[in-house]
Amino acid sequence: MKNTFFISNLFLLIFSLNLFAEDFLIKNAKIFTGTDQGLIKNSDIHIKDGRVQEIKKEIDISNIKVIDLNGKLITSGFISPLSQLGLVEIGLESRTRNDSSDVYSAGFSVASSFNPKSTLIPYNLTGGITLSLSSPSSGGLFSGLSSAFYLSGKLKNSLLKKDIALIASIRSGEGSKAASFLLLEDFLTYAQDRNAEKDLSIIPLSQEDGNISIRDLRAIKRVVDKEIPLVVRVDKSSDILTILDLAKRKDIELIIAGASEGWMVANELADSGVPVILTPIDNIPSSFDSLGSRLDNASMLHKAGVKLIISSHETHNAYLSRQGAGIAVSYGLPWEEAIKALTINISESFNLDKLGAIKPGYKADLVVWDGDPLEVTSFVERVFISGKEVPVENRSMRLRDRYLEN
Amino acid sequence: MKKKLFLYSFFIFSLSPFFINAKENIPFQSTYNPQKSSSVLIQQGRLLTATEEDSFIGDILISNNVIVEIGKSINPPLGTKVIDARGKWVTPGIIDIHSHMGVYPAPSLNSSSDGNESTSPTTAHVWAEHSVWTQDPQMPLALKGGITTYHVLPGSANLIGGRGITLKNVWSRTVQGMKFPNAPYTLKMACGENPKRVYGGRRMEPSTRMGNVAGYRKAWIKAESYLSRQQQYESKSEQAKQMGYKPTRDLEMETLAGVLKGEILIQNHCYRGEEMAVMLDLAKEFDYKVTTFHHAIEAYKVADILAENNVCAAIWADWWGFKHEAFDMVWENAAIIHNANGEKGCAIIHSDDAVGIQRLNQEAAKAMAAGNRVGLNISEGDAIKWITLNAAKGLGIDKWTGSLEKGKMADVVIWDGNPFSVYTKTEKVFIDGILKYSSEDISLPKPTDFELGIINPEENRL
Repeated sequence: MKNTFFISNLFLLIFSLNLFAEDFLIKNAKIFTGTDQGLIKNSDIHIKDGRVQEIKKEIDISNIKVIDLNGKLITSGFISPLSQLGLVEIGLESRTRNDSSDVYSAGFSVASSFNPKSTLIPYNLTGGITLSLSSPSSGGLFSGLSSAFYLSGKLKNSLLKKDIALIASIRSGEGSKAASFLLLEDFLTYAQDRNAEKDLSIIPLSQEDGNISIRDLRAIKRVVDKEIPLVVRVDKSSDILTILDLAKRKDIELIIAGASEGWMVANELADSGVPVILTPIDNIPSSFDSLGSRLDNASMLHKAGVKLIISSHETHNAYLSRQGAGIAVSYGLPWEEAIKALTINISESFNLDKLGAIKPGYKADLVVWDGDPLEVTSFVERVFISGKEVPVENRSMRLRDRYLEN
Repeated sequence: MKKKLFLYSFFIFSLSPFFINAKENIPFQSTYNPQKSSSVLIQQGRLLTATEEDSFIGDILISNNVIVEIGKSINPPLGTKVIDARGKWVTPGIIDIHSHMGVYPAPSLNSSSDGNESTSPTTAHVWAEHSVWTQDPQMPLALKGGITTYHVLPGSANLIGGRGITLKNVWSRTVQGMKFPNAPYTLKMACGENPKRVYGGRRMEPSTRMGNVAGYRKAWIKAESYLSRQQQYESKSEQAKQMGYKPTRDLEMETLAGVLKGEILIQNHCYRGEEMAVMLDLAKEFDYKVTTFHHAIEAYKVADILAENNVCAAIWADWWGFKHEAFDMVWENAAIIHNANGEKGCAIIHSDDAVGIQRLNQEAAKAMAAGNRVGLNISEGDAIKWITLNAAKGLGIDKWTGSLEKGKMADVVIWDGNPFSVYTKTEKVFIDGILKYSSEDISLPKPTDFELGIINPEENRL
């Protein structure tokens, strides 16, 4: 009995490997590696079992499928670091949204509601995004936990890694920012208390939208235990210093999102080693917390030594992080750094192993471009996720074709 | 005193005809009156004129607020400042036909969010210009993006939202000092989801799209009878006028009657193809013209109908999905509109957004590239029109601005490279021949009052 179970499992394994394992060569590529090797021209990539096997000027393997790129640029697939891809279909229609909860706060994991068949997924794939760190967007201090999903559109295997970061926001409003900072500090303190889980009533506080549950407390504990980073949305220079200080005192892994006024505290950010998620296209002083918004924020932060992550300000067009990156480059950020801010800097900051660069042993998530990926006139030509080619097609293209025929 | 008189008369003589208001006795007239500009020759730049299909290397001479000459090579008259534009591109000033700068200023605060009079579904009597905060810091940011003229609209909560206003992107203490001289007034109408959501949510009409259309028709029926009463009175003899009563002024009806008389241009927020077709039939029923559909996400579905009716479609390059009527976006929308009925279509790229307005050139670039990828053959000369001349047409100001043509207002942008690139920035922006932005002059653009000392008391915002 045990034996047959083992054998059938073995069969399954072999079967799935056959389905999954593609062994092929990409030839004559201009490769942006995302590593110290930088950009290498006229080179080949051997891909096997979903990973990059080898990169060399000339790889020769007999009886292997060859894809000749004729000198075109290939990069790692871009990563959407902070959006609601797979959780939202139509912004204003709440019944098409699965990105918020009024029951859970920190413990709200969106992993189970991700929809690989969302129209936003092939759409953003055709924009060059292969992986989304899909995040909840509930209001309050904690929004919940984000998870990493491939945009392969597959019902199975879309999830890469569950509950990879806890998302929080410090916002001005009816409650003060000071109260948010205190609340955050208290939660981090109580999550360390072994007795708290046994008796939640010993926690003498509640979130705005209800009491804390065990699930919420456990999510916060994972931050305290340094299993996952805490992402905090904050814009104002003085608030950035406050959160840096809190993260240091509590010894947690922090990522700052927003940071409109980051340039004003660039050295402090650099010294802390905290990565920053920027939307470089947005220079509007849209609140008194972001009066210092400016287009060269990314470039100034980079010069100071801050690790940058570039995001779009909007889920439906998450791929427009490319345009934001291009604008950051036009204001002084080196091109190579901009591409890293869309790839390897994200996987490293969120502890996603062996992903986001073209390097032996790394996941073969690759995009072939018809031009410079940061240029607004460039398009995606081919996409590979875990070494398998996925079609570059979306609903918008189907609509276009219908009306072009007329 | 004498000196003052002398100065005054000098001023009168220096007035270009653009800046004299054509009509007297109308309220809130433009007082925009730029100083006489000196002669500037922009030499050997790549010119994209918005009238010619292809760009060419040439010279452009501006003087006395207007474009004096364009040619392959112009000898600068004595005293002309020469700008070496080799390697640069030169285009008309960029025009945004859909902006809420001033009425939804930054920072976003309840106290200055003045774009939607959402207290009644038809508010033709309100005027966006009366909401404009002239010190909105978004305005100089748009100037750095090459915007020389923009059209400020009321929001889309209402079926008929009120009058829009066309402004020159100049710093002024008063909105009158920004008003584009003699630009026709416009009227904002809105189809679809927004009005029915706002009023349906309050359990009042309209709560459906059919309620929307009934609302427009009711308003136009009233306007027709108001106009005919006015016209009957005006056609009477002076004696008869004195005998009878003068019809009472009605602000709402004055605006609607202005549309029926063809003096006020309809700017119609409308996403869906079938709704645009309904609105065109509505315009026929009441004999008025829709000038431009805005946010026309589905214009590609009815591009031939729009071209037949000589209506422009103003769109984003790629916004979508924020509501159901924005779900069917295609990247090729502008190109399909442009190519309709043998290139008879009128495509415009608009922003509706203080981030987007800073780079309409990039938005046009995206739409051009998408069209070309499916073989629609959009040239750079076509794409520049989408953010200049066609927007000017949609606002009824194309005889004064929107292209590099002799005799037009000297609204000119010099770019440090091809404007259809993410890496290209403006280098100089002229409005009526006056340098308003220069990448070499840190005092430009002139910061708004808001920006003085707002972060550090001794500095401007940035």
